[in-house]
Amino acid sequence: MRIKKKEAAIADVDMTPMIDIVFQLIAFFMVITNFENTRADERVKLPKDELAKPPEIAREDDLLLNIGYIRNQQGEKQSDALLFYGDGETYPVLEIGPVLEREVKYFKDLGTEADDVTIVIRSDAEIPTGLVQETIKFSQEAGFSKFALKATQKVE
Amino acid sequence: MKFRHSNKKAEKIEPQMAPMIDVVFQLLIFFMLTLKIIEPEGDFNINMPIGQSQESASEPLLPDIKVRMVATPDGDLASLELNRRKLGNGPEAFERLNGEILRILGNPNDPANADIEVELDADYNLNYRYTVEAISAVRGRLDPSSGQVVSYVEKIKFAPPRRPEAGG
Repeated sequence: MRIKKKEAAIADVDMTPMIDIVFQLIAFFMVITNFENTRADERVKLPKDELAKPPEIAREDDLLLNIGYIRNQQGEKQSDALLFYGDGETYPVLEIGPVLEREVKYFKDLGTEADDVTIVIRSDAEIPTGLVQETIKFSQEAGFSKFALKATQKVE
Repeated sequence: MKFRHSNKKAEKIEPQMAPMIDVVFQLLIFFMLTLKIIEPEGDFNINMPIGQSQESASEPLLPDIKVRMVATPDGDLASLELNRRKLGNGPEAFERLNGEILRILGNPNDPANADIEVELDADYNLNYRYTVEAISAVRGRLDPSSGQVVSYVEKIKFAPPRRPEAGG
């Protein structure tokens, strides 16, 4: 009886799915980082300005406050000025004191002093300036002292 | 000894189209994502003196620059004033403000100007848009030839908010 010798077939690795998956991963992480970096609320329509430059050095500790209006499809205001906070919570701007107190506690738990935290205010272009000032004032009362106002870079 | 003829014909290797198309789609999606979905945002540092009694805490050597913005009842800009001088309203007012700030500074690169502070005093109901525009006019100017920012005044502070009941 003759024994047929089988040649050991070299399993050729198909590269296509590999490359596919690598691209998937890259795209996925790109999207994720994009969301992470902004934490922006799309309901806030920032004012446009050509001089607004992102900070050269990324801030270590910052607290982002989104202030805007709830609008309908036509862009008409449906609410008073609100702070959009966390997962869908909204607070009237003049009642954000407790929220800021909570944030101070949170930063303290992390071992960061409120003095070292920059409050980044993303405010809608139609918010009265007085309310932005009130926000700063509430933040100062809570113990924050550094502030930055955000604007969209105008693309000429 | 018999040679076994392989009856197989030389097969034409056909490129598989399905994975190709897959990869092309992947690339398409990848480059779509590299386009910035979110417009880049920048920010201005600003401060606001705590309380109302910081007026004469430290006498600066340089004159204080005050920018006053008066609002119409519906939140638009009624008039822009620099140290009580009216600069009008509308976009040209901000250009004038930009020019006036430059005139006060003289040379924007002079290190002595680093301590100059501008105080913004806006009506309570003025739309935030105009405030940012004023901050930008004070902050500097975009050099049209090089696209670089020429920095004027770094320190900008808000006056305490004018409560509506206190009268605008």
